[in-house]
Amino acid sequence: MRPLRSRPVAALSLLAATALLLAACSGGESSHGSTAVQVGKALAATQILARAVDAGGMRSIDPSLSTDVPAAHVLDDLFEGLTRLDQRGEPEPGVAASWDTSADGRTWSFHLRSARWSNGEPIRADDFVYAWRRTVDPRTASDYAQALAPVANAIAISEGRLPVTALGIEAPDAHTVRVHLHAPTPYLLSLMTKSYAYPQYEPAIRAHGDNWVRPENIVSNGAFQLHEHVIGGRITLRKNPQYWDAAHVRLQQVVYLPLDRAVQTERFFAGDIAFTDSFSAEQTAWLRARLGDQVVSAPYLGNFVLGLNATRAPFAGNRALRMALTLGVDRETLVRYVRQGLYKPAWTVTPPLPGYDAPLPEWARLPEAARHALARRYYAQSGYSAQRPLRIELHYPTDSDNRRTYEAVAAMWRANLGAEVSTLNEEFRVQLNERHLKKLALFHYAWIGDYPDPYTFLQLFQTGFGYNDGGYSNPRYDSLLNAAGNEADAARRLRQLAQAEQILNDDVACIPLYYYATRHLIKSYVRGWTSNIQDRNLSQYLYVLEHEGQ
Amino acid sequence: MVRYLLSRLLTAIPTLLVIATLAFMLLHLTPGGPFDSDKLMVPQIQHSIEARYHLDEPLWRQYLRYLNDLAHGDLGPSFQYRNTSVNELVAQGLPVDIAIGGTAMLIAVLVGGGIGLLASTRPGSWRDQVPMSLAMLGISVPVFVTAPLLILIFALRLHWLPSGDWVSGSWRHLLLPSIALALPYTAYIARIVRAAAIDALAQPFIRTARAQGLPASAIVLRHALRPTLVPLVSFLGPALAGVLTGSIVIEQVFGLPGIGRYFVTGALNRDYTLVTGITVLYGALIIGLNLLVDLCYAWLDPRLRARH
Repeated sequence: MRPLRSRPVAALSLLAATALLLAACSGGESSHGSTAVQVGKALAATQILARAVDAGGMRSIDPSLSTDVPAAHVLDDLFEGLTRLDQRGEPEPGVAASWDTSADGRTWSFHLRSARWSNGEPIRADDFVYAWRRTVDPRTASDYAQALAPVANAIAISEGRLPVTALGIEAPDAHTVRVHLHAPTPYLLSLMTKSYAYPQYEPAIRAHGDNWVRPENIVSNGAFQLHEHVIGGRITLRKNPQYWDAAHVRLQQVVYLPLDRAVQTERFFAGDIAFTDSFSAEQTAWLRARLGDQVVSAPYLGNFVLGLNATRAPFAGNRALRMALTLGVDRETLVRYVRQGLYKPAWTVTPPLPGYDAPLPEWARLPEAARHALARRYYAQSGYSAQRPLRIELHYPTDSDNRRTYEAVAAMWRANLGAEVSTLNEEFRVQLNERHLKKLALFHYAWIGDYPDPYTFLQLFQTGFGYNDGGYSNPRYDSLLNAAGNEADAARRLRQLAQAEQILNDDVACIPLYYYATRHLIKSYVRGWTSNIQDRNLSQYLYVLEHEGQ
Repeated sequence: MVRYLLSRLLTAIPTLLVIATLAFMLLHLTPGGPFDSDKLMVPQIQHSIEARYHLDEPLWRQYLRYLNDLAHGDLGPSFQYRNTSVNELVAQGLPVDIAIGGTAMLIAVLVGGGIGLLASTRPGSWRDQVPMSLAMLGISVPVFVTAPLLILIFALRLHWLPSGDWVSGSWRHLLLPSIALALPYTAYIARIVRAAAIDALAQPFIRTARAQGLPASAIVLRHALRPTLVPLVSFLGPALAGVLTGSIVIEQVFGLPGIGRYFVTGALNRDYTLVTGITVLYGALIIGLNLLVDLCYAWLDPRLRARH
């Protein structure tokens, strides 16, 4: 899991430039890219799709080393784990055709289908054993080794305390992968779709070392294979005829282009890109007017939260102040006017998840006026007043969208409470560094979950967790989270997590502002995608209909 | 001449050393390291990554190691693009920048030079004022405005050229970014050439040529051109180094995989080796091109040759 990185748009001026470009576009209804495009019902003769990904990220497409979102999209197409995501974004059988679980939920046996590598070799259970061991091996230096933490001994191996052979994965025969977990993990099937759980082809890695991920060397097992890779630039994939489900894959070629958000929109209008990764929130209304339902937004597995430092003044031991601040934010106003209605107001740390109802704080149901009155009462209780207002800095990573949000929040606190909050932006890495050192009292704390489960969000507030940057600590909370971690019964586990989340609400461990949403521009002739909470749309399900300008 | 060349090359070494040292130190002074905190990391793995890139060594040793590699032409491994060396990135990005920068400079010299010469023949007339006002506009309007405008007109409206992306060897993909990059340089060159040509045309030897009854075109092209080139050449040296190491804005707007883009993402991700490497490369290019400029002076102006 990861803190949400603000996109490193190198030149802010680009935004201005695109605004200018788009403003110039708005003179007349253009014939391209807009709803005016005639889309047929038949499949297009050439099945080629160009997708844009965020320009900042892609560091590596080695499944053991990759950690960023852009690379995850490419890897979703190149490789397949024991399970894969279906069209709705839910795990379904992948290389494993079926599986069974032990009664305590700690041992899983996956039964492999007869699938092949892109070079025609059969995929064996050992290929998974090799790959998982490589990921947790400290010598691989994977900064995502902890992702396999639910597998027995994974952390101890990555810390060098146990040999890699101690990892809880074995291959009793060529077609069975047996996984031993140190605790029941209800989201295991979801984890198995991730890059760190893919199989890897040992002979290619042995022969080429670090260069095994180059197009001429790579052996993969997904619906597509790597054809071209310009570092930091274009990635071209071609359909993998050896893929076990190749009969259902319609796209012949997928091109990934890493582009800045503003440029993605521009290239979408030019018709060069059919599926963008994002668009600027402030352009939402303008884009909707021009592109209609080609503008796609849906809930995303992430929250936008203000962190409060529980270890230092003014928040340590001052619940009244924390209450006053969280009550003093008008989330509906924020979402409607600052975030263009794209996001949903947040009252809890965990975003809406299938099967899990995050407990709302009681005050969330109060009308706005009552909330403000309550906020003022808490503010007075906290020891601050008009004569002695709260003076504090709010730190956030540089990004124009962040700036608007936090200036609005500061203005609300000024108007509703009389607090004097100044906003201070810093470069992403600088802010992250200061947060980790717990130097900041009030800070941007957005988080994108790794798997659709409340635990990925709730562990942020566990004592000693590496990203608990507010230093929150509550023994009752920790013990509930631990109990949930060892609970085999799924329903009881979710109840324990909900109880834990209630404690966060009561303690006002942070100030949730809104839940994230995905933002895409998708040409109307592109079909086969479904908005899903993890925002992963595998190219193997996508196809292109006949359209103008082919 | 050879002695002059050698001494210039030798003085380049301490200059490059200072550049490399400053870049190295400044980057290491910036808060946040290349493998800090982006992910939740097991401390042992953090150590093992740092050991792999020698980040666990004392700074002075890292520095000496870096200089030693540099002396052998090795710019080191990139930190942000795992499994990739800075040399590979430069080898991949530089041809893109050379193609676009070279084309842009060619356009700028031909068009800007032509306009400048034309304007110089009748200073103060419309032939002078119209192009010079346009040149002023070309200098003042930044690339991040002209580039999207060009895309709007030629890609989105007219559909003549692609709106971006890089296809090696395709002139269609080369044209728009080159023109966008060339525009301000064209304007500068037009103004420089005009001023220099007016100056040259006022020289006594031009008067002699006129008195001999030579046609105006022959006077300008055969006699006035050479002295006109002197200020142009001194402008071209650093300008060429600038376009070759990548125009960051042009690369972002057109989505080109050039060096400028690596440079920016490298700085944001604390990719020490990548940023230092490109800085040193930039320094070397400027030094090299300045040397070339000085050699050109000698060819263009016989008086300078005599002095050496």
